Amino acid sequence: MGGMHGFGPVEPEAGEPVFHEPWEGRVVGLMIGTGAAGLRRGSIRPAIERIDPATYLASSYYERWARSVEAGLVGAGTLTEAEIDARAATGGARPARLEHDSPELVAPIRAFLDSPQPTSGAPAAGAFAVGDRVTVRRMAPEGHHRCPRYVRGATGTVARIEGAWPHPGDDRPEAVYSVRFANADLWGDDAEPGSVTVDLWERYLT
Amino acid sequence: MSDDGHRGAEPSPIERRVDAIESLLVEKGLLTTEVVDAIVETYEQDVGPLNGAKVVARAWIDDDYRARLLADGTAAIGELGFGGPEGEHLVVLENTPAVHNVVVCTLCSCYPWPVLGLPPRWYKSHAYRARMVREPRTVLAEFGTTVPDGVEVAVWDSSAEVRYLVLPERPDGTDGLSEDDLVPLVTRDHMIGVVR
Repeated sequence: MGGMHGFGPVEPEAGEPVFHEPWEGRVVGLMIGTGAAGLRRGSIRPAIERIDPATYLASSYYERWARSVEAGLVGAGTLTEAEIDARAATGGARPARLEHDSPELVAPIRAFLDSPQPTSGAPAAGAFAVGDRVTVRRMAPEGHHRCPRYVRGATGTVARIEGAWPHPGDDRPEAVYSVRFANADLWGDDAEPGSVTVDLWERYLT
Repeated sequence: MSDDGHRGAEPSPIERRVDAIESLLVEKGLLTTEVVDAIVETYEQDVGPLNGAKVVARAWIDDDYRARLLADGTAAIGELGFGGPEGEHLVVLENTPAVHNVVVCTLCSCYPWPVLGLPPRWYKSHAYRARMVREPRTVLAEFGTTVPDGVEVAVWDSSAEVRYLVLPERPDGTDGLSEDDLVPLVTRDHMIGVVR
């Protein structure tokens, strides 16, 4: 949504809690827990991007996550929409939870969330070098990708090359470039001075 | 997990739906409540901006560490014991007298969880995501931050695989302070770059 108008001011909240409602924390726990246990199909973002635009804009961040978690669980056959509907309809009381003593599950989750990892990137062997001028292809792809609309057609300079990663939905690692655009090349001559740097897969560039 | 805030209140549709998913998974033996609790507690108590502040303070007092941090953020942050989801490839952006860095994700809300925790609501807002790339100085002013005209505002849209952490300039007048004294001077907003 880079560049869109009409959303008003940014409104920081003093003393903001990590979660505003307990269910938001449960959604994060379910997202990570079901992902780590292999209970969901797909990653979180493609499912979020399949939400229709009107619903997307009307939903809160963690509502979108909840939809995505549900879609992944249903997609993997872990749960069915019908059983979730039925359970959600059963009334006002919060469903009883079964408590388990499961240190064998908790310890690896804690370690996964809070310990150093090797970088996920592979060495990049791509077509462009730092300092090259590159232009973002004009395109209107369907489905999940990571090429923001506001840089399409714009020309910038390769500022860094951090590595190669699989393009979403693709297994083949491909070089990702940090491309720096002058603000005027994105927004016109009356833009504020300065630059925006965007990480772009090689396939987006010429 | 406390239910105190909801005692007597009718759960909302989203609460019911999330509860339904969790209780079904638990009943089927696929997940335990304890695992979900552990994840919630980790982000409420253990993994947050204090981690990032420790990285910054170390960089301020140790030039060798600073050099390693700027060369390979993931590894240098790992030296302090930090890493995990959304921290698989961390890049540290150094503020200088000539450049002020600020981070946004226009596609969703990519954010370096191991060093900053989960993002605040404003970072995920449509307003921040839409406007920071187009009118950064105006948005910074809404945070009370004025960047002098001669200083470049460099915005980083972290919408792919890299997660960025801003290394603020060490404040004047802190030469005598120890690493532990410096840590509380570093806030989440400094490390996103909305505060200078």
